[in-house]
Parts: sequence; C-alpha cells; structure tokens
Amino acid sequence: MAVIENNVGAYPVSPHANRGGLKAGQNRIGLLLLLPAAVAFAAVILYPFLSALGLSLFEYTVEMMEPRFIGFENFYKIASDPDVWAAFWTTAIYVVLTTTGTLVAGLGWALIMNQQFAGRAVLRSLSLLPWVLPSTVSAFIWGWIFNSRYGVLNALLMELGLIDYPQAWLSTPEGAMLAVVLTKIWLSIPLFMSFFLAGLQNLDKEQIDAARVDGAGNWAVLRDHILPHLRPVLMIVVVLGVIGNLQQFDTIYALTGGGPVRATTVLSVEVYRRAFEQWDIGFASAVGVLWVAALLPPAFLYLRMLVKGN
Amino acid sequence: MNTFTRLIGTAAVALALGSGAAKAADLSFMSFTYAEEANKAIVQGVLDNFQKAEKLTVEPLGFAWGDMQKNIFLRARSKTLPDVAQLSERWLPTFASLDNLVDLNTVYGKDKLQAAFAPDALAMGNINGKQLALPLLSGSIGMVANKEVLAKAGINDVPKTVDDFKKALISVRDKVPNSVPYSMATKNNGSILIDFMVWNWVHGGRIIDDAGKVVVDSQQSRDALGFMVGLLKDRLAAPEIDRPDSRRLLAQGASAFYLDAPQTRTFLRDFSGKGQAFDANVLPMPTPVLKAGDKSVSVQWGHLLVQFAAAGKAKADDPADKFLTYIISDKVQTDLPLKMSALPVTKSARAAVADDAYLKNWSAATGDARRNEVGIWSNAADLTNIIGEEVQGALLGQKSADDAIKSMQARLTTSMEKAKKSE
Repeated sequence: MAVIENNVGAYPVSPHANRGGLKAGQNRIGLLLLLPAAVAFAAVILYPFLSALGLSLFEYTVEMMEPRFIGFENFYKIASDPDVWAAFWTTAIYVVLTTTGTLVAGLGWALIMNQQFAGRAVLRSLSLLPWVLPSTVSAFIWGWIFNSRYGVLNALLMELGLIDYPQAWLSTPEGAMLAVVLTKIWLSIPLFMSFFLAGLQNLDKEQIDAARVDGAGNWAVLRDHILPHLRPVLMIVVVLGVIGNLQQFDTIYALTGGGPVRATTVLSVEVYRRAFEQWDIGFASAVGVLWVAALLPPAFLYLRMLVKGN
Repeated sequence: MNTFTRLIGTAAVALALGSGAAKAADLSFMSFTYAEEANKAIVQGVLDNFQKAEKLTVEPLGFAWGDMQKNIFLRARSKTLPDVAQLSERWLPTFASLDNLVDLNTVYGKDKLQAAFAPDALAMGNINGKQLALPLLSGSIGMVANKEVLAKAGINDVPKTVDDFKKALISVRDKVPNSVPYSMATKNNGSILIDFMVWNWVHGGRIIDDAGKVVVDSQQSRDALGFMVGLLKDRLAAPEIDRPDSRRLLAQGASAFYLDAPQTRTFLRDFSGKGQAFDANVLPMPTPVLKAGDKSVSVQWGHLLVQFAAAGKAKADDPADKFLTYIISDKVQTDLPLKMSALPVTKSARAAVADDAYLKNWSAATGDARRNEVGIWSNAADLTNIIGEEVQGALLGQKSADDAIKSMQARLTTSMEKAKKSE
C-alpha cells in the first residue's frame, strides 16, 4: 500500500501564491468592488441620516447659531402635535391609494401589452413615457389638467355638460388628494407594468390553453392561473411600491405644495415645511427619523425577500 | 514616463482652471430680481456698470423669490453665504440673529446713512438699533386696477368703499366673461397673509398688537374674513390664485383688481406682451375703505440688501461694500428703481424722480403705508403659515370664519411665546 505523503510544505510554492486560498482572494476583490458603492452610500445616505438622527435630539432653529441638546424633547412635542399625526394619516391614505391603484392599473396594462396585436411594440414603448419624464414635469402637466381656470378636465366635463362652472379640483381636500394619487399612479405604471410583463412572459401558455379548454373564463384564468403565477412578482412590486410612495415628495410638492391647507401634507412634505418654512431643523429631523422608522418594515421585508431569493 | 507626464500636465491644467474659477469674481450677489425674466437684464446692467466703474467682478446668484429664504438659511448652516444678498423687507427679522450679518452702521456710520436715505426706507433695514440692511427700493402694497376691464364692465369711477367695491366686482363678473373680478390671493400662505392683513385693517382689525399680543380674535377680523369668504362664494374671487397668477390675469384682461407693489407695472408690461403700451391700463387706486371718510390702507414694502462677512465685520473698501456704495449711488438709484417701477431709497434720488407720473400716482393712491405687522417678528415664517392655513381653510369652506379666527388666535398665541420683535 502506497503511503500518501502529506507534507505539502515540502513542495516548492511560488512566493506570490495566495495562502488564504482562492475564496479569500475573491472576497478581497468583492470587497474592493463594493468599496465605491459603500463610499457613496456612506457619504450620501449614511452620514446625512446619522446627522439627522443626532439633530433630532437638539433644538436648532433659525435664531440659533449652534444647536442645543434637548434629549427626546422633539419626540415628546411630536407626540402632542396633531399636525404630525395628521401627516402620518395622510401618508397612510396616499400610500394605500397609490400602491393599490398602480397595482391594478399596472397589472391591467401588462395583461393588455401581453396580447398579440398590431402596434404592440410601439404602444409598449410609449407606455414607458411617464417613466422617462422628470417627475416635476409630470406634476406640472397634471397641474395643468386639473387647473380650475384653463384645465383640460374642466373643459372636457363642461363640454360633456356634466358641470356648469369650472371646478377647483385642487382646492378641495378630496380633489387635491385624487390629483396627487393619479399623478403618482400614472408615473408608476411603467415600472409595475414592466415587472408584471416579465412575469407574464414566463407563464406557461399551454396551462392557460388547457384551462380554457376546461371552460375557464377570463376571470377564472386570472384568479386561478395568472395571479398565482405572478405572486412573487406581486410581493416585490407591492413592497417596492410602498417604499417608493412613502418617500414621495416632488410630485406632491410641485402639484399642491401639501395643500389645500394641509390636505396633501404627507411626511416628506411635513419634514420640508418644518425645516424650510418654520426653520426648525431639530423638529424636522425628529419627524424625519420617524419617517425612516415607517420605511423600515417594508424595507426589511424587501431585503428578506431578496436574501431568500424570492 | 509618458503616462506620468500626462498626469502631471492634467493636474497642472486642473489646478490652473481651479484657481481661475476661484478668482472668477470679487464678490457674490444673491438676488431674486436676477431670477425674474422681466428684470434680469436690468440687474445685469447694474453689475456690468459696477465692473466698469470699480474694476471688480460680481458673481450673480439668482434664486426665485420663493426659494431665497431657504437658500440663505442653508448657506448659513453650511457657511457658504454670499457677500451680498437681496431680501424682502419682511424676511429681515428672521435672519437678524445670523452672526455674520454686518451692522452697516459700523461700516458707513449712522449719521452718514441717515443723511443719505429717506427715513421710511432706512427704517426697513433697522433692527434694534442695528442697520442690518440697506434699502434697495421701496414702495407700498396697494390696490391696482385694469382700466380696460373697468371700462368693459361699465365702471367709470374707482370704487371707494367696500360696498362700492363689491358692486364693481359684480359688474365685472356679469359683463366680462370668464373673468376673476378680484384676483385675491387664495393660494400660497405668504400671499394670503397680505390680502388678509389689508382687509383686516380695512375692517378695523389687527392681528398682533405693538406689544406682541395676538388680538385677531375680534369682531373686526371675523368681518374681514367673512368678507373674503363671501367674495369667493359669489364668484367675485377664485381659488388657486397666487400673486403671479393675479399678475397674469390682470395683464391678460381677465381680472379687474388685485393687491401688489408698484413693481406690478413691470410685470404687467411683460405678461401682457404689450410692453410699455400696457401702462395706460394700469391704475393704482386707494384700497376701498369700510365707510366713506375712513383712511385707505396699504402695506409698507421694499427690497433690502444685506452683507455677510466673517464675524459680521466689514470695511468700506471691501468689494462688497464698494458694491453697496455703488448701488445706492444716484447713478443707480435714479435708474434701477424706475426701471423696476419702484421708489428709490435715497433722498437725492427721490428728489430727482419726484416728477415720475406713475410713482406719483402710486404714492398718492396708497398714501402712508403701514408696517407689516407680522413681518416684524422673528417667527414671521411660522406666523405666516398659521394665518395662511386658517384663512385658506375658511375660504375653501373647510371651517367657518369664526372657527378659523378662533383657531388662528390660539395657534398664533402659542407661536408668539418665543418671538422677538424688530424695531
């Protein structure tokens, strides 16, 4: 029986050889590749967030040259401030309406775009238009549509004889909320549609054909075959939608400025108003910290899905 | 070696360009007038002439009026303030505590400034004895009418009382289709404040008294807000109107009246597309009074210039101070304010332009302007938001005028607990 010599050290090894093995080298390269993103993340997100976290414990108004430490006083003030709670409630309404609306519209549009018809490629490309436009431009377009004096919506409704006088849509809480929700839905449809379309293209057509042969109607096909197939996509899309809508600021601020009165003042607008209209950086930071806290559960859910490979 | 040489060369060029950029201007000037299309060329002309006269260059930083306060605030926090900035007179108390704001009495001497400036103009930049700003141009916010629209509505005399005013508005509504008879501000808290303050004064009310006590919970203020709500209900005013909308509506013959500063003429020339030919339609008029014999009201208005320097210390021969000296010289003061349809601020320039018909009419129509009773407080921004929100709530029917006034009183009182007055 041959004896296998196990004395590896006795063999000549190149002085450049990686003693940690191939995996350690890969790890180092991986870390190196990660470095630019990590630096950018630290500079653009982590540092500002930590600064805001620190400032939330300070009083820092326009009259003060230096911030003054006050512990959790800003958070106590928030607890008794009805305007901040109203902003949380408004945010919840906005997020639920926009996410649900985009989900339904995005799925519906994806189902249409998944059919074979002439001009489909052109329509698919045009569907991406809202995504390409800068969001503030979209907000101004919708502002023009809803404008009480020269808006397209009033002109159309008056032409149809449905209203006698132009309506000030953006001057009622419901109208303003509807406007900001519709704008966001319009902006988000391309993204949602792309996700759903990708999912639909993996759907086994034979399965659908078999269901139809068995007498399944459109609704049954959607409920029993398409939606179960799209379930992982739906989960991701809902979580991403919630996160995106919780962060929304530009379209709302450009369209209504958070008004009328405070009807569309979501958390992002509340933070902006406290910081740049009332010049209270400490309080604004505290609201911002709570806003981030509201973002954490869906973000955690999303990361968990990613890690689990869903 | 080649690569190394190239690297060195690139670095040298970058350094040269960088130092060039750093030396690009001798001072920076942040201005909202510079950001206005109608006025940009006028300001640029002043900067070019200053460069010729003093061999000093100015870097203009234009920001929209609505973004100015935010930008100054952020630059103060990041220690990147400009050398000179233009402010609305009502913003000064908010920034008075910045420690790099220069007390210009220490640069030019109090007596010299008092000798040069009209007292009403100089007072706008004075806070607690410190001259924290020099006036750039001045005037008042009063009522403006479009003569052409009045003629279409068959109105021959400008309305003098509130009742006459309402009758005139009804005529405009009924005879000028698709018009907004009075372009009252119903959007943007800063604009709503002015309209409410004026109508509150007309009805004999006050918002905050001289001692800082909130006194808006009065029958007069309820009447004023009730009057404004009534205008909207009767379609004599319209929702979604901010000051720029008012200017456009008046310029396009779609509105008869609105409140603005004398600068309105420059905006109306631009927005009407008719230039100076539109001047014939611009009619400054006294704000209607509650009953015949009452004194008409208007709000003091002006633009200021502030200087920022390390620790608030500056000398008259600093580039920024040479710029300020230039801008208040007769050469500029007899030209720039007139081009912007406003009153100059120095005594000599006012004497030189005393015959300007438009400004004469404006002063005669608006009379003695009252100081903005909200803008003099350090928490003016917060007060403005509260008043704007409550007035808008009542105008849009979300609450009664009575509830809005009560809520305004309570919220303003809380806000005033930490307020400082500027005198």
